[in-house]
Amino acid sequence: MTDARILGTGYRSYSGPRLGPRHAVWTLSRHSFERIMGLRRPARYKVLPILTFVIAYLPAVAFIGAIALLPSRRLGQFVPDPGQYYAFVTAALTLFAVLAAPEALCPDKRSHVLGLYLASPLTRTTYLVAKVAAVASAIFLVTLGPPLLLLVGEALQNDGPRGFGPFMTTLSQTVLAGLALGVMFTALALVIPSLTDRRAFASAGGILVLIGSAAISGVLAFGLRLGDGWLLLGLQRLPFEVTERIFDRRGLPTPSGTPLPTLAVGVVAIAVTLLAATVTWWRVARAPVTR
Amino acid sequence: MTDEPVVRADGLVKRWGATPVLQGASFTVGAGVTGLLGANGAGKTTLLGMILGLHRPDEGSVVVLGGDPWASGPEVRARIGYAPEYEPFPPDVAAADMVRHIAELHGLPRREATGRASDTLWEVGLGEERFRPVGTMSTGQRQRVKLAQAIVHDPELVLLDEPTNGLDPGQREGMLELIRHVGHDLGMNVILSSHLLEEVERVSDAVVILDGGVVVARGSLDELRGGGDELLVDVDGGAEWSDRLVDDLAAAGVRSRSISPGRVLVALPDPGVYDTVRDALAASGASVRRLQARTASLEEVYLEAADHGRVGS
Repeated sequence: MTDARILGTGYRSYSGPRLGPRHAVWTLSRHSFERIMGLRRPARYKVLPILTFVIAYLPAVAFIGAIALLPSRRLGQFVPDPGQYYAFVTAALTLFAVLAAPEALCPDKRSHVLGLYLASPLTRTTYLVAKVAAVASAIFLVTLGPPLLLLVGEALQNDGPRGFGPFMTTLSQTVLAGLALGVMFTALALVIPSLTDRRAFASAGGILVLIGSAAISGVLAFGLRLGDGWLLLGLQRLPFEVTERIFDRRGLPTPSGTPLPTLAVGVVAIAVTLLAATVTWWRVARAPVTR
Repeated sequence: MTDEPVVRADGLVKRWGATPVLQGASFTVGAGVTGLLGANGAGKTTLLGMILGLHRPDEGSVVVLGGDPWASGPEVRARIGYAPEYEPFPPDVAAADMVRHIAELHGLPRREATGRASDTLWEVGLGEERFRPVGTMSTGQRQRVKLAQAIVHDPELVLLDEPTNGLDPGQREGMLELIRHVGHDLGMNVILSSHLLEEVERVSDAVVILDGGVVVARGSLDELRGGGDELLVDVDGGAEWSDRLVDDLAAAGVRSRSISPGRVLVALPDPGVYDTVRDALAASGASVRRLQARTASLEEVYLEAADHGRVGS
């Protein structure tokens, strides 16, 4: 004899917990992250995220493998330290910012699902917070993950910074640089998609802004020799100038051989990030939903 | 249920730039299904946006479920379900995923949201289709998904904006039946915004009629249609004679209204009114073409209210 019964299913009133606006932010953030990463979506949406992570992580894995297999005296300067590793994630970051990040904002406007979101406990502010969290999480996986993996891999094979103090210094520099790089690229990745509801336009605009500004500033500074300062306009270069400072390096090469002033790099980096964030917020705050 | 109205608006004014949309709209919405009627551009969608706290009134106030939706938007919206007029779904997302996502946004834990999304899609007749991407569904199915996401979290108030748009007669019939089911069987309060009088009349307990940004009539259907018992009087001679008859009846203490030139609807609270009407007609000398007991249609109420800008009780 059993007490088991088949109960009728169907719509029932709900008397369980209701988790509030914070849960709504978490829900939207997770949903957006999954969409950016191509999770729960057809295979074609997974190609770009996978490619990005392969580009970002593969060199770190290869270097750790090389350290494990070959004596360090034979490797010499072949293996970069975490501060030098960012050269390997530039392509991944640019690819991700330009091609994958528009997925966070554009479809919401194009498919009008933004109206449903704002009819929920979300506000425009919390909506943007959720989107920023989703994009930043994905970008941090590229800016923080590979250098940390390399640092830990080197340390485990006695090939990293010598001693606890230097290790902790490099670790904090790696985390700080990864966060700074992630924040800047998140701001840059969202500003163009905030201006349009079409992913293709957002990607084209992103290429124009990131790669175009780098090309133009390079021509002005290196080609026409109009001054090193023009390099500050290169939005693809600027975040890496910041990481150079965090790792106490001189900075990226300039035509004159003199590094760009740290103060100027810091001011321009903060200004660009704030400007991009402000434009994004302004666009989301004014996005029409219903009239 | 409490006596507190579901929605109470007082003197709502809203302008988009220089264009006035709402010009002092005042009304209350009680429990049950309420139709929000008005021509395209009458301000219905703007009003729904204000109930959701998406637009701030330029003047006046609105209280929804006891709260101010502009000041306490997240708390109020957690208790509301909304199905907009437009298509609000990414085409590549499965219906069950979308409905679950909206349930989670309204505060349901993931496990409960998943179960309720499935149950709700069954309830609206999409049980077998629930894992299909919304973009592959027919217009009728997408309208049902819209309804499902609006009720999945068991809200106290459901706002439906033109829910039968694009539906063929059979689908429209099914959707109206579902709306009636949501309002009357599932116990949710529903505001049904539509420009289609017939569908509002079929499912609503009460209506609010908007015209030119003001409320021209409001109340239960029985109130607006004269309590269900009226006497239709057609007289020759057009508006002059019908207006005179209305005045004569008013002087005799009988409520009546002219609904078109030569046509008067007389309220019939008791059979003695027939004698009063007969005497008034004899005294006025009007030629009677028809005397018929009837109930006014919502269309007549609407046209009369829009013509006269009258605010019903």
